[in-house]
Amino acid sequence: MVTNHGLSGEAFTALASGDGGPAAVQHLCDVQYSKHLMLLHAVATEAAGAHPMSPEITASRSGYEILVRVQEASPDTLAWLLQLPHIGAWAHDCLESKARGQSPDFGYMATAAAAAAVRAGVQFELDVPVRDGRVLLPGLGYFHGIAPPDSWVRLRSDGEHLTVGTFTGARCSALVPNEASSEPVPQWQGTYTVRAVAEGQTWTVLLETTDQYLNRFALPMSAAMTAEDVRGWQSRIQSAWEVLVRHHGWAAGSIAAGVSVIVPLTPGSETGSDSATTPAAFGAIATSLPPDPVFLAETLVHEVQHLTLCGLQDMVPLTKRCDEWVYAPWRPDPRPAGALLQGIYAHLGVARFWGTQRHVETEPDAILRAQVMFERWRSMTESATATLLQTDCLTEAGTWFGVMLRQRGQRMASAAVPADARDIARQVALNHWLIWQLRHAAIDATAVADAAGAYQHGEPLPDRALPEARVQKETRKVDSAARSHLLSMRFLEPAEYRRLSDAGLPGLSEADRFLVSGQASMAVQAYRDEICTASEPLPDAWAGLAVAIHLLAQTPLLPAFATRLPFMFDVHTRLVGQGMRSDPLELAAWFA
Amino acid sequence: MTLHDKDLKSGIPDLSSTIPDLRHVRLDRLAELGDSVLANSIALYLQRLEDNGTPVYRFNSGIQA
Repeated sequence: MVTNHGLSGEAFTALASGDGGPAAVQHLCDVQYSKHLMLLHAVATEAAGAHPMSPEITASRSGYEILVRVQEASPDTLAWLLQLPHIGAWAHDCLESKARGQSPDFGYMATAAAAAAVRAGVQFELDVPVRDGRVLLPGLGYFHGIAPPDSWVRLRSDGEHLTVGTFTGARCSALVPNEASSEPVPQWQGTYTVRAVAEGQTWTVLLETTDQYLNRFALPMSAAMTAEDVRGWQSRIQSAWEVLVRHHGWAAGSIAAGVSVIVPLTPGSETGSDSATTPAAFGAIATSLPPDPVFLAETLVHEVQHLTLCGLQDMVPLTKRCDEWVYAPWRPDPRPAGALLQGIYAHLGVARFWGTQRHVETEPDAILRAQVMFERWRSMTESATATLLQTDCLTEAGTWFGVMLRQRGQRMASAAVPADARDIARQVALNHWLIWQLRHAAIDATAVADAAGAYQHGEPLPDRALPEARVQKETRKVDSAARSHLLSMRFLEPAEYRRLSDAGLPGLSEADRFLVSGQASMAVQAYRDEICTASEPLPDAWAGLAVAIHLLAQTPLLPAFATRLPFMFDVHTRLVGQGMRSDPLELAAWFA
Repeated sequence: MTLHDKDLKSGIPDLSSTIPDLRHVRLDRLAELGDSVLANSIALYLQRLEDNGTPVYRFNSGIQA
């Protein structure tokens, strides 16, 4: 009798509160074993029913039979294989391919089986595909230069030695990931490995640069790493691990239990840093190399939060089919509710990280960065969870989860943060939110026309209620990059900010310079002048003006800029289009 | 106190997942499970694929707009 994996209410609550720890993550790993076995069986069933016969289907059937024998001989080895993110990603891809009417990659089953058989010392013989000139053994490494690219090669093993085509002589026990102690094997490249150790806690993680099924992220996998690159990764991961173990034990245990693979990504720009996870590959985190160990530690915390939630959602769906797109404080684009939930969970972990790290740092710039990051992400919880809970996209369990996330955020709300850090975080958050509104909130055109007509004729606003607004991918083009960059630079790169500040903040408009340097009244006037003298509407100046208005101690114009910015901008645009003069402050006073 | 908060006061019940516990099932016996929980779970998984696709959760830790 097979029953489904269960989750106690207590464990669910602990996961929502961020207090699940390694035990909860290990439970999720156990579930992933079952999930991957289920998907493996689904792929095998597809292969068994496929016609006509092909080398891929033959390989898949043979591979499955070998896995049966591996399980008999060494259940732990099958568990090792099935908990590799490679297997989840490949099986997922097979099912997606079938759903699209394409032929799944059945041949990979053979390479997976061969890896398990080599590791378990099980006798076998089967043909495996050669991809890009490599014979891959997932989780272990690959042979190269042995067989022609995109061909098939026969593997034979007596349980102790492996023959690859006509190439003989590799001891199975030597076919392991690449570590300092690894015995060199001709034509063999073990998967790069990092064994990070700090205060007696070890985290072993593979650096995967080969497997095509883990090369599915927005940035390309760093497939051609030099020995120096690898050493750089190993050193950075070791340093980040020390930060995590010494100061963030709640996260370190989860990372060691749940993250078995890092996929190094090639960044899109020299300064950019990007990381990702996917529920199809539980156990893998993809990331470019962050600029310092603390940022790598933060990235790992962020991504393990995503992984944890992916694992939980495999067990208990928290969201349902839904077309609502909403504001997420960390993204420039509208996000579906499921992604908002993921982001809240990840950023709660990030806030917790910086909440500790701000007491660990000793240099003033690093302290400022940590304080701002803590304030930025803890302060978003209330509004983001409110947005989430207002959608109709959560299941009952998802609603419970959302409420507990909000409570978790509230527990961080009372922590004191220095005023300068609070101000910077508030400005960055405001700038982000106001730009997002201008970019993505589409206002009903009739309401805009009615309001513009009333303003023209000196009449009051026809309807005090906010007109209907839709979230759209791009309603208005807002180019705010320079100001946004400088606002964030104040805490992310304070030294560079000071240098630019001394040079007069080149590249910014006069209004932006006033805003960034904290002169809100001067900024309001300068933005107003920009808007009044321009021949066309300036959405970015409106966003800057709205930020500056928020920073004034008291102004009756605030409610209009806080709640009706896109509406006011559209009325302004209509008036300008009709050749009328439109002063943003006078218009706001009329709206207020 | 909101409705959601009130619901939580009574505690979260134990939850059953949509994944069968296969940790002690032999690979060569999986097929025998047939149309039981296994087939049902795979169907649910495929349905979720169709509903949600496969989201990739990305994080720009660099400077953002």
